[in-house]
Amino acid sequence: MSHFLDRLTYFRKYAGSFANGHGETTTESRAWEDAYRSRWAHDKVVRSTHGANCTGSCSWKIYVKGGIVTWETQQTDYPRTRPGLPNHEPRGCSRGASYSWYLYSANRVKYPMIRKRLLKLWREAKALHADPVAAWKSIQDDPVKRRDYQQVRGQGGFVRASWDEAEEIVAAANVHTVKRHGPDRVIGFSPIPAMSMVSYAAGSRYLSLIGGVCMSFYDWYCDLPPSSPQTWGEQTDVPESADWYNAGFIMMWGSNVPQTRTPDAHFMAEARYRGTKVVTVTPDYSEASKFADLWLHPKQGTDAALALAMGHVILSEWHAQGRGDYFLDYCRRYSDMPMLVLLTERDGRLVPDRQLRASDLAGNAGEANNPDWKTVAIDDATGNPYIPTGSIGFRWGEQGKWNLEGRDARTLEAVTPRLTLLGNETAPVAFPYFGDGAPEFFNPTALGDTVTHDVPVASVTLADGSSARVATVYDLFLANYGVLRDGRTNYDALAPYTPAWAEAVCGVPRAQIVSVAREFGDNAEKTRGKSMVILGAALNHWYHSDMNYRGIINLLVMCGCIGQSGGGWAHYVGQEKLRPQSGWIPVAFATDWARPPRQQNSTSFWYAHTDQWRYETVQVKDLLSPTAPQPLSGQLIDFNIRAERMGWLPSAPQLARNPLTIAADAEAAGVPVPQYVAQSLKSGALEMSCEDPDHPANWPRNLFVWRSNLLGSSGKGHEYFLKHLLGTQHGVQGKDLGEQGEAKPEEAAWHDEAPKGKLDLLVTLDFRMSTTCMYSDIVLPTATWYEKHDLNTSDMHPFIHPLSAAVDPAWESRTDWAIFRGIAKRFSAMANGHLGKERDVVLTPLMHDSPAELGQTHVIRDWKKGEVEPIPGKTMPSVTVVERDYPNTFARFTALGPLMEKLGNNGKGMAWKTGDEVGFLRHLNGEVEVPGVEGKLARMDTDIDACETLMHLAPETNGHVAVKAWEALGKATGRDHRHLALPKEHEAIRFRDVQAQPRKIISSPIWSGLESEEVCYNAGYTNVHELIPWRTLSGRQQLYQDHPWMLAFGEALCLYRPPVDLRAHQALHNAKPNGHPEVALNFITPHQKWGIHSVYTDNLLMLTLSRGGPIVWISETDAATMGIEDNDWIEAFNANGALCARAVVSQRVPKGMIMMYHAQEKIVNVPGSEITHARGGIHNSVTRATVKPTHMIGGYAQLAYGFNYYGTIGTNRDEFVVVRKMAKVDWMDGPRITPQAADLRAAE
Amino acid sequence: MNRRLAILSVLLRYPDAALRSDLPDIARAIPQAGFRADLAPRLGRLARRLGLGDGLDREEAYVRLFDRGRGTSLHLFEHVHGDTRNRGPAMIELAQVYEQAGFALDARELPDFLPLFLEFCAHTREDVTANLLGQCAPILDALHARLLGRATPDARAYAAVLAAVLAEAGLRPAQQPTSEQERSDAEEFAELDAAWEAEPVVFGPESDPDKQGARAKVGAMIDRLRALRASHAIR
Repeated sequence: MSHFLDRLTYFRKYAGSFANGHGETTTESRAWEDAYRSRWAHDKVVRSTHGANCTGSCSWKIYVKGGIVTWETQQTDYPRTRPGLPNHEPRGCSRGASYSWYLYSANRVKYPMIRKRLLKLWREAKALHADPVAAWKSIQDDPVKRRDYQQVRGQGGFVRASWDEAEEIVAAANVHTVKRHGPDRVIGFSPIPAMSMVSYAAGSRYLSLIGGVCMSFYDWYCDLPPSSPQTWGEQTDVPESADWYNAGFIMMWGSNVPQTRTPDAHFMAEARYRGTKVVTVTPDYSEASKFADLWLHPKQGTDAALALAMGHVILSEWHAQGRGDYFLDYCRRYSDMPMLVLLTERDGRLVPDRQLRASDLAGNAGEANNPDWKTVAIDDATGNPYIPTGSIGFRWGEQGKWNLEGRDARTLEAVTPRLTLLGNETAPVAFPYFGDGAPEFFNPTALGDTVTHDVPVASVTLADGSSARVATVYDLFLANYGVLRDGRTNYDALAPYTPAWAEAVCGVPRAQIVSVAREFGDNAEKTRGKSMVILGAALNHWYHSDMNYRGIINLLVMCGCIGQSGGGWAHYVGQEKLRPQSGWIPVAFATDWARPPRQQNSTSFWYAHTDQWRYETVQVKDLLSPTAPQPLSGQLIDFNIRAERMGWLPSAPQLARNPLTIAADAEAAGVPVPQYVAQSLKSGALEMSCEDPDHPANWPRNLFVWRSNLLGSSGKGHEYFLKHLLGTQHGVQGKDLGEQGEAKPEEAAWHDEAPKGKLDLLVTLDFRMSTTCMYSDIVLPTATWYEKHDLNTSDMHPFIHPLSAAVDPAWESRTDWAIFRGIAKRFSAMANGHLGKERDVVLTPLMHDSPAELGQTHVIRDWKKGEVEPIPGKTMPSVTVVERDYPNTFARFTALGPLMEKLGNNGKGMAWKTGDEVGFLRHLNGEVEVPGVEGKLARMDTDIDACETLMHLAPETNGHVAVKAWEALGKATGRDHRHLALPKEHEAIRFRDVQAQPRKIISSPIWSGLESEEVCYNAGYTNVHELIPWRTLSGRQQLYQDHPWMLAFGEALCLYRPPVDLRAHQALHNAKPNGHPEVALNFITPHQKWGIHSVYTDNLLMLTLSRGGPIVWISETDAATMGIEDNDWIEAFNANGALCARAVVSQRVPKGMIMMYHAQEKIVNVPGSEITHARGGIHNSVTRATVKPTHMIGGYAQLAYGFNYYGTIGTNRDEFVVVRKMAKVDWMDGPRITPQAADLRAAE
Repeated sequence: MNRRLAILSVLLRYPDAALRSDLPDIARAIPQAGFRADLAPRLGRLARRLGLGDGLDREEAYVRLFDRGRGTSLHLFEHVHGDTRNRGPAMIELAQVYEQAGFALDARELPDFLPLFLEFCAHTREDVTANLLGQCAPILDALHARLLGRATPDARAYAAVLAAVLAEAGLRPAQQPTSEQERSDAEEFAELDAAWEAEPVVFGPESDPDKQGARAKVGAMIDRLRALRASHAIR
């Protein structure tokens, strides 16, 4: 009988066991699983992110249950990329995943905190003065009272206060300071708006409305590579990380991608799967090295030598051989290489001078408009000089010829410029060489201070009928590299900048240099530019970082990689890309109410006001080129002062008088204010503050720090901040110039006694008790990143996404917006009777992206020395009278002001009307009346109102505005660019949209890359593909820098400049022995794995993954010399101060360097120093900022000031420290011991 | 209502002006609340100490002890879950206990804040209190030990509160003040008592500054307090 009835057709039975008995099916209850389900159950998930300036800009899911944040996980819903390209998600790392720890941490700032001694003085003063402003004045007028609380800054002693009392003190201090000293004595420091732009804007809007000063950060952090503005007229623009995937060859150079770009590192892994070759260049065996097919490890600080030698190979094997049509064509069209340079005879030798201009030729070569600012090339067909379109002279004063179409400006015919004059006669030209001057521990050469090369030259007839010799930038460029033009190579010659020379300087074997350069060039030629260099802070924090960067930029330009998808310059240092920038600026700097705002470059400010200049060891004469065109004397501070008074760099405070008092005096004198200021400066009746930074009239008085850990993280010269700005306990060991009997500055007034405690009041807003909070007088508790509404963008991906309030701010904390809104309200009320409508005289430097960038010519004239008349906006800063309405500060804070409709909006030199958008915002946010203003204005009361306002005004988030902006640009270029935004014209991104999902932004002319479905975002893309000029002198990538100071310091072309000797360690070496051997090591401060800056380095989860406190990394060799074993306590010290940390002894580190991860908090497990007898410092306790004159140049095309665009940078890599094992680890948890007592004890 | 727990909750509050003005009432309530004989005087001294001298000094001491750092944090779960993801669920669970007992959180504080927790314990059913205190005992004991270890008179004074909370759970702290600490505190408090219980200062006609008497008394009292502060400042 058949078994078909027994057989199951539609079922199968659960088998008792399966998988060969490894699995078993049972029917027992699974109810126990519910415990886990409810354990992970939650009420809601809210989208937010972390404002840590880590560039990751990862979107996160925040889980909330019962009103409490329980944990976070990564969002995975980024808009998809196109087929063939990996997606962005998942993004996020262990640091982000531990953030919720902070919300309820014991380290949270829960209440407004005030230094007890100040509060006591305040309450006593209030008992005597009903008026809070009078009360504050009474404290400040009494030096004993002032010192009483200043001297204990950083030593605990806080008490809780009410918001009411805290706001009252802050407002009283601000009113008093504005009234007594001037609004430009109220300073605000907050960095990186991209990480939480509304929180930034809250403080900067308040400060801008009252006339306070907003401080730059990008340059101060030394994240700004000055070579970017120098070369491209652009702060920084870089490819998104997805574009790494399109590269054929990547060099990861001084950028530790897996460690510091963690959420993006997957693109690197994916690129390798695709077949991209990766060469990593780092002195230490960093995590990035593990991605490498080849790891090159030059000695730290000598990267320029390596880059120059690679350039030497590529120039020799392609350019000098006429090989690579793509390279030659690219250089002709997109670089200044065909432009002509005048050669000048100086000290009996021919040296390169400035670029030839239309104004040098007869009849200005037919160019009536800006002939000084139009560069000259030779027509390859005729051999005659002509004026190519696109140089900066075409940008202002005329329209339609500012483009890279490669036309003769006169005939508008397409012309091919001649790249090389090879075949003409040659002349010996001298180039400066600095390699012989390398300090101790670096490898000096013995090749002389100049190198002479034969360069092909031509003669041109100048306007005065004389004849001048000229060469192309291209020929000078090749000569400077030491490239032979006769078809031979000289790789083994010990001459700049051959591979053999580089091997001697940087230690990388010449064979590796040659092979990497060949592969880099070969890939670029075959792929039309898909060779990429990812580079970062390791290169950028050197004093001569420009050379490291320009060396690499040169490589990329000579191979046609900039502006090409999958190629280019990928500088990732800091979360700089504030994508909706031009919509944000009116909100942030209150340009809807008054223009211009006061903005200051921080490095020069801190250098002056923390008195680091008083200890300067770097001499200008040691920096100057042997071919310098004119004698330049003075100290670094003198150069900065000259730059300030000539209008190159901004000043803060600006004038040695309250700027609210000047307009009335001008009126009384019957002279227009700008003229009055110029005359008074000339006569000496009025002085600029910069000339006497130590005079009490010029001190900064109130400082707000928010979204920042200025004193625990970025404050180079930390101990000088403590000593002079704050006036408290410090670890400075060195003597100032006066005490040492050294030469004093020429321009800066010298006071024998340096001020201690310039600041009246330091207010910090934070959610955690950071090192900066510890040093503050008032600490205001802010909402965390899960407790506020805000916006976040990054360089690394093309999305805009929000921070959202998952829960209300805990304890007494408030959002930054609410805090500054509250202070504004209090200030407005308190101003009555002290300040009314006031006329504020504001000085502004000659700004980049404005006609003032053509302010100065190629001859420097200083009005102070009588070389020229002081003319505001031309030979000195612009002078503007700005109307303040102090009692209505709050009303203005919370409304979008009338200037948006009256004057329109603008960005990077383009201007457009924005009335429609303002009209929309009236409907969306509601209307409000402001006293003194006719009609109604759009309300901007809440943080979400501010988000909506900035997104609706910005081209990147509003298609209508994008089209208008492209149209504005088209007027200058004579080309129609609107097609780049028209497909998204009707898209306008709103706050609730980005809460639902991150949104890709819209292509805008504010940026040089495209947000398209065809290519990844890459910098310079629209320059190359839309023929939009770079915002430089030549309109091309400017490889030749011809400003007189550039020539003076020998940096017209890229060359190798060894690290500078800061002379900080020598005097301390073996001066205070503790019985252990001492070694001098180069102090390197990379970013770390267990923190983002100082955030997370106080997070127990992250501390647990590392060593739970400050650590430094040293080599096995140096450790053996010093008798140090892993985990021993060491001390590192020099003239600037001292720090204590545990040693990580590792093969990772090469001999001669010590690495301390950036910004480990002083408040976590730091013992006392044997040198200073105070608690061991932070990484910046052993650094001091040193400024470079070439970064001060202004009013000169791309070398013109812009906020965070340009200026001196806070370098710190050249520093050396003395390192030794600690004899005694003192936790300083006993009774306080005075330094004298400690010395006594040590003597015993 | 458990008056003892209510008093202990109040004693752990931030010693701002509001609390200071209540101190006389608190000091009067302590002896009548039925604290264990060895605890009542110690709590009384804390109440007196909080009213001593410049209130800002007491506030500063409170901030140093309880608002900064983990060691002696008044947030219970800081000591068990502080650095883990278990903390959120634990807080939620505790908040649910309050809710089920009919109490809605009405402060900008976390559910595990000790004064808040004690206020709940004071006002809820005895069995709930006993259960909760029993569960928290190890944390309270650890906190007590850490306060003793801080080696400041303020910390030791606050330790008495923890000892008293433990007593409500029928427990004694594992660690007791050393005899040296006891003696030092006793001396200080004796002096304190003497200083404060000196003849009352009389205002009015007798306070005429020209007359010896009231002024001298005040001066002497201030001198005694100054000496006292100096002798205890280092501890």
